[in-house]
Amino acid sequence: MKALAIIRTAERAAAVSIFLVMVALYFANVLARQVGGTFASEFAWVEEAVRLMSLFLVFLTVGLALEKGRHAGVHTWRDRIARATGLPLRKIVDAVGFVFCIYLVWLGYQMTAFVYGMGQKSPTLNIPVFWIYLAPTIGFALMALRFALSFFGRIDRFAGQASEEQ
Amino acid sequence: TGVWAADFVAKIGHLESAQQSRHVHLEKVAKLVNERTDGAVEFQLFPQGQLGQQREMTEGVQLGTLEATVAPAAFLGGFNPAVSIMDIPFLLPDNDETAQKIRGGAFGEALCDSFNSRGVTCIGLWPNGKKNFTSSKPLASLDDFAGQKFRVMDSNILIEQFNSLGASAIALPFGELYTALQTGVVDGEENPLDTIQRMKFYEVQKHLVLSDHGAMEDVILFNPAWWASLPEEHQKTIVDTFNEVIPDLIAHKAEAVAAALEEIKASGIDIREMSDDEKAAFRDKMYPAGRDAYVERAGEEGENLIAVYEKEYEAATAQ
Amino acid sequence: MILFALVIIVAVLLLVLGFEMFLVLGVPALMIKEFFYGNLPDPVVIQKVLGGINHTTLLAIPFFILAAELMGEGQIARRLTGLVKVLVGHLRGGMGYTTIGGSMAFGSVSGSAPATVAAMARMVYPEMRKAGFSDKFSLGLIVSSAETALLIPPSITFIIYGWMTGTSVAKLFVGGLAVGLVLGLAFAIMAALEARRSGVERGPRTSWKERVLAIRDAGWALGMPIIILGGIYSGYFTPTEAAAVSVVYAIFVEGVIFRELTLRKLFAVTERAAISTAIIFILLAMGGLLSYFITLAQVPSAITAFLEAIHAGPIMFLLIVNVSFLIAGMFIDPNSALLILVPPLYPVALALGIDPVHFGMIVTLNISIGMITPPFGLDIFVASSTLSKPVLTIISGLWPFIIANLIVLAIITYVPDISTFLPNLVFG
Ligand code: NA
Ligand code: NA
Repeated sequence: MKALAIIRTAERAAAVSIFLVMVALYFANVLARQVGGTFASEFAWVEEAVRLMSLFLVFLTVGLALEKGRHAGVHTWRDRIARATGLPLRKIVDAVGFVFCIYLVWLGYQMTAFVYGMGQKSPTLNIPVFWIYLAPTIGFALMALRFALSFFGRIDRFAGQASEEQ
Repeated sequence: TGVWAADFVAKIGHLESAQQSRHVHLEKVAKLVNERTDGAVEFQLFPQGQLGQQREMTEGVQLGTLEATVAPAAFLGGFNPAVSIMDIPFLLPDNDETAQKIRGGAFGEALCDSFNSRGVTCIGLWPNGKKNFTSSKPLASLDDFAGQKFRVMDSNILIEQFNSLGASAIALPFGELYTALQTGVVDGEENPLDTIQRMKFYEVQKHLVLSDHGAMEDVILFNPAWWASLPEEHQKTIVDTFNEVIPDLIAHKAEAVAAALEEIKASGIDIREMSDDEKAAFRDKMYPAGRDAYVERAGEEGENLIAVYEKEYEAATAQ
Repeated sequence: MILFALVIIVAVLLLVLGFEMFLVLGVPALMIKEFFYGNLPDPVVIQKVLGGINHTTLLAIPFFILAAELMGEGQIARRLTGLVKVLVGHLRGGMGYTTIGGSMAFGSVSGSAPATVAAMARMVYPEMRKAGFSDKFSLGLIVSSAETALLIPPSITFIIYGWMTGTSVAKLFVGGLAVGLVLGLAFAIMAALEARRSGVERGPRTSWKERVLAIRDAGWALGMPIIILGGIYSGYFTPTEAAAVSVVYAIFVEGVIFRELTLRKLFAVTERAAISTAIIFILLAMGGLLSYFITLAQVPSAITAFLEAIHAGPIMFLLIVNVSFLIAGMFIDPNSALLILVPPLYPVALALGIDPVHFGMIVTLNISIGMITPPFGLDIFVASSTLSKPVLTIISGLWPFIIANLIVLAIITYVPDISTFLPNLVFG
């Protein structure tokens, strides 16, 4: 589980630094506009850059959110239905979640490769657009990992949801 | 659509609203093409970005999720740096007929061809009006632009265009522009008159200069596989129909622009027409800056296209 | 039809069995893709997932969440609510009115209902509970008050409607102010009734001296709303940028002035805000996917055909408009509903002699309601993630407000003067 700890630390550090850099860039943009003139034009790439960073912010964090049991859902009846029917519902959720995420990783990879092949560039930053599709590809992989670990009982992602049963 | 399903169905997505010239003429083309192919070809239209932003739609045309899009050239620079030539200010002459000579001649052809190596099939260009400046501060002369903040679309060439005037180029989402003009986050913007009227920018601006400085050209892009699947006669019908409605489209746009100007005039804001001499002065300042930014981005391909353009421009304006 | 029923059944099953909400939306979306659009290349799924969140205006949500987390963790929130308590604490249900008024003021400038929930929820929820309001009522009021963001100007929804229909944005803004106030009044009446019913206690009346002291104590904290509201109205920044500025201000005040924000705390708070953002945005992403397939289905043409078939008059027409938006708002992102439904319905409205401004109010109020109606109600998820409350608890608190909303909608729909009186007065 040391590998997971490393991944977790990387996710947290990335999310926090991306988030704070987004704030700093936007703030700098506001200040630059007060200076005005062609200096302000130098910051025209900020909007595009921050939007790109927001995609990575989201998809580098979805896995953490899953591990902590924080994703929205109606968890009120799940365990009761599982007890009443004898179905291993938590395992079923994990399995379905894993298959869904792995499928989206596959599609994300295809989309990334396709856009990479087309060579499309972003309008102001002039960087390759395939980067934006890398974000969901990574994000769904990070969630697939958590679904798999939970399925095999290596992490308890349901602990935080216990209080939701009424 | 008739009782029988068409053999070839194309979803066509674009950004304009359903009453604007582009959509109105897409409807015309759809109807004519359907009739002329005896119902074999059907166009389904999805206006106002229902299917996503322009980048998504263009990607969709490459990928085959969307059969066609009619896109402003200004939104295509990322897919094809060569097309950004259209962002260069004062590119097309004022006279509609002269402009159509350039659009419909060797330059237009070379521009359209430049798309074909980029996973899309360009079948033609459509005119879509010209941009004008508005601002909450006076725009009485070239010098007035210095120090003002203008909102730009995502494009390095447009950024350089404003830099060349000593103005700030500010990137802002289109949806936030009305409020930004109202509160003064930016002083001004550039758009065709019918957009200025539809988006009601004149409600929150004090000055309008009829400069016609930026050509808004639409590029008609099809998915290559879908296009290749069409029998040649249908391809010809489609291309011819798109070209055939251009005079109509120009007239419709002119009417929309005239109506827009009436409405804007009635609001009482200051409107000034730029004289030919003034336009020449602006062109002298803005064209080289835009040209350099363009060549830097589009490289050798850009230089070649510029050469074709400048030759055509001279020939067309000399007569 | 059978396939469509299957999709619905699977969606309901996933929801009830406690699957994560992004799976509840995503799995049926994939089924629709396979069943009805099998020939579309599959990677379109990823494109539309990303398309749902790749918008600059959405950035206000993460920034305001972070600012709210910083203020809640530090002293700004406490000092601001302390001031409010001194000013209105002696009114029965004063905290309820504060929530409504605060959301209206904040929503006015931010223009984003989810950003308003993000910014307000953490601050006012504990205070509403302390004031004696029930858990459910507090949640319901916080989430629904944020709706006014789309109605009280400035509002991007009106700008988009104006662009689609050619209606004056200035007139729409003035009309929206009236409708937003009516909605706020309706919520205030509910807060008053609830305060009486559940015996919310009045605080002691405070002296002017205490009030002056509280204002002084609020000091730096008071700078927050002043900077956000003042900065936007005087043109220093856009609402989205204001969100980022508020984060910088919060870090400065909590870190440098109050000296309580350590680097370690900043890291923890930012991580929490990032997780809240991820939870909300993954749902927006799935919503984008679902909306795409619904757009392709060209449902609106079926609605207009139905309208023609029954020869609907204005009353019937507006009823159908409201029902269509309500249903659409339950399942797809309300802004997509705006883009899909207005083009076919607007010409019919004009032909029936309905005032464009009035129609704009009806549409925008519907869009606002769509933000809080389950199962896909963005504001519900924002509240759930920022307050760590189960989705179901929030929904159960929302029902009375949804009913109140529908009553207001009926009044706005069938009393056009409310929408048109002010714009006509101002613009003639
Ligand atoms: Na607003
Ligand atoms: Na909803």
